[in-house]
Amino acid sequence: MEAASFAAGRVRRASALAWVRGLLSSYGLYVALLALPLVYGINDLQHAHNLTRLGQNLVNGLSNGAIWALVALGYTLVYGIIELINFAHGDVFMIGSFASFAFWTTLGLTVATSVLGLVGGLLVTLVVSMIACGALNVMIERVAYRPLRNAPKLAPLITAVGFSFILQNVGELWLGPAQHNVSDLIHAQQKVFSISGVVVNRSDLLALAVTAPLVILLTTFIARSRLGKAMRATAQDPEAARLMGINVDTTISAAFALGGMMAGAGGLIYALYQTNIWFFQGFRAGLFAFTAAVMGGIGNLRGAVAGGLIIGCVQQISDNRFGSQWTEAIVFGYLILVMVFKPQGLFGEQTREAG
Amino acid sequence: MMGTGCTLVAAIGIAACGSSSSSSSSSSSSGSSSGGGKSLTIYSSLPLQGTSRGQSEAVVNGAKLALQQAGGKVNGLNVTYTSLDDSTAAAGKWDPAQVAKDAQQAASDSNSIAYIGEFNSGASAVSIPILNRVPLLQVSPSNTAVGLTANVPGATPGEPAKYYPTRKRNYGRIVPKDTIQAAALVALMKSDGCKSVYVLNDREVYGQGLATNVALAAKTAGLKVDGNQGIDPKAPNYRSQASQIHSPCFLFSGITANNGVQVYKDIAAADPSAKLYGPDGVAEAAFTTNEPAGLQGRTQLTVATLDPKAYPAAGRAFFKQFSATYNVASPDPYAIYGYEAMSVVLDAIKRSGSSSRQSVIDAFFQTKNRSSVLGTYSIDANGDTTLTTYGVYKVVGGKLVFSKSIKVKPGA
Repeated sequence: MEAASFAAGRVRRASALAWVRGLLSSYGLYVALLALPLVYGINDLQHAHNLTRLGQNLVNGLSNGAIWALVALGYTLVYGIIELINFAHGDVFMIGSFASFAFWTTLGLTVATSVLGLVGGLLVTLVVSMIACGALNVMIERVAYRPLRNAPKLAPLITAVGFSFILQNVGELWLGPAQHNVSDLIHAQQKVFSISGVVVNRSDLLALAVTAPLVILLTTFIARSRLGKAMRATAQDPEAARLMGINVDTTISAAFALGGMMAGAGGLIYALYQTNIWFFQGFRAGLFAFTAAVMGGIGNLRGAVAGGLIIGCVQQISDNRFGSQWTEAIVFGYLILVMVFKPQGLFGEQTREAG
Repeated sequence: MMGTGCTLVAAIGIAACGSSSSSSSSSSSSGSSSGGGKSLTIYSSLPLQGTSRGQSEAVVNGAKLALQQAGGKVNGLNVTYTSLDDSTAAAGKWDPAQVAKDAQQAASDSNSIAYIGEFNSGASAVSIPILNRVPLLQVSPSNTAVGLTANVPGATPGEPAKYYPTRKRNYGRIVPKDTIQAAALVALMKSDGCKSVYVLNDREVYGQGLATNVALAAKTAGLKVDGNQGIDPKAPNYRSQASQIHSPCFLFSGITANNGVQVYKDIAAADPSAKLYGPDGVAEAAFTTNEPAGLQGRTQLTVATLDPKAYPAAGRAFFKQFSATYNVASPDPYAIYGYEAMSVVLDAIKRSGSSSRQSVIDAFFQTKNRSSVLGTYSIDANGDTTLTTYGVYKVVGGKLVFSKSIKVKPGA
């Protein structure tokens, strides 16, 4: 009799545990993602009786996150197609900032330039930066990764790290080791409009206005163009793609070119947004962008964008509520939470490894 | 002691004192080439790359000038000077591994007699214990963090004992420590009408320590501290942090290399009427030339250096001589500290009457009422100078422009 009741108790405990586990796996991720905004939203309502501060955090976070999203797209494109973490990608982004600054200086753009001249000049700079970084990324692939296509996976990983350091040194030789302040061409922190006290600055508008069309163009290109379809086919099964007549090497180069172009655009926005560029900026940006790609589900374009925006928001809330000194720990704490609840990332992986 | 002014006059033709120099990627030497017998080596370890390069080069040149004027000899012994670099190009500032390497090099040289450095307090926290075990006299031309020498408010737990494993002192400095600088900053803010101040610090030994000292000095002076928060020096911007700061006055307690310019830019943009203050850690060309034009004139910095005209006759003569020797119209203010660091070391060797490292350390700590280019000062039992005057500078047109000096009560 006692044994039977003991066994029944164990069954009840096990089913309760399974229920909790099920609840956590279904809703835990959402609870984790919404924890910071919810807690601070309630806190703001209690103390300030409005959500202006949280709204401001989210606006700044979305614009900052848009830059991480552009860089994250490069990580996810390359990982999706050859399953390589391109550690040099953050530094390609840094070169994008440096090249943009050099080009607009050559064009003679200053804070005194007319609006028309500035818009035209910056559009040309955007194109130049995208082409330069796309070409640089293709060159890196050709020199450091393609010869190692059939080598053990660690080999291209190490050459990627090597290229990262080479590019950092190039940046250091170019503008020196200290942070380099660039002209505030767009008056980055000038208010454009505000809604219920939430201010939208020029830098916020710029980041979102450049990122949104680029992301739409990129996803449309991947989904509809012949080359985009070839990329998806190569990502699924390179051997089968080759048998179907797809030039796999060219397709991989195209993925690197597109990733580099996104980094180039991100580099220009970063320089205009922060008004401060640095040879080491790619390390931190690369870390956040790679985290965004993993959080979103590496190999998934929508995931990379969502991951970038989430990280941008977490970063801004942390900077504002705890101080920037704790931000890295909080961002990576978030990543750990997402991974624990959904190891394949928010939108799931789209890689061969993931099936 | 021979009057410094006389020494300066005598030094004009001292190029023949036999300075020789050699350089490598990380070091350069100069000193006497005449005579034989034992020679002594004085090392310096300073950031010769990155944002503090200009100041470090001024310190090195000041030290070289002092050695030249001494004829490259003390007590009949040849003295060689070797300048080491405690920074790396990658860091763009001092690097702990490089600091340790420099200190080890000096410690393992049987001819070494003293070590001038480091420029940054955080770096000295690395080198002092290494040199203390030798023991070798270390004199800093610029460190201000209080915990390096004394367990007073502003020091962190375990300071300064953890820097002196032998329990005997070997380190001193010729700039007033941060309790003095903090009192000067608070006095400046009070005189500007500040009712409260917000402090951001760069979380280094120097920045965090000075921020604590400012908070303590402010409490005494009746200035409210609205906040004292650390920053991430590698963050791309501080806009979110700045948007929460609503104090009429702002102080960044840190160094330029830790993203100092960006901090001021973001604070100034968040509150265009905030008064901006900074310590000697940002009083350098890398800061003044990079600070946007709109912020210049709004930013006031404290540095232990004064207007050349405010120094005694020997100090004024030094600046004249330095300008002539190195062909610079307006010498970096730190040149005089390089000169004085070398001079006080040579004086300690001379007074010790020997080449024993311990006797040189003892002689340094017995420095009393020394008449120098900085004025008359003594070194106390902790290794601190008795000088208490700080200069206030404004950033104007990309340059530091002397505004006034603030003399702080001893014991502040």
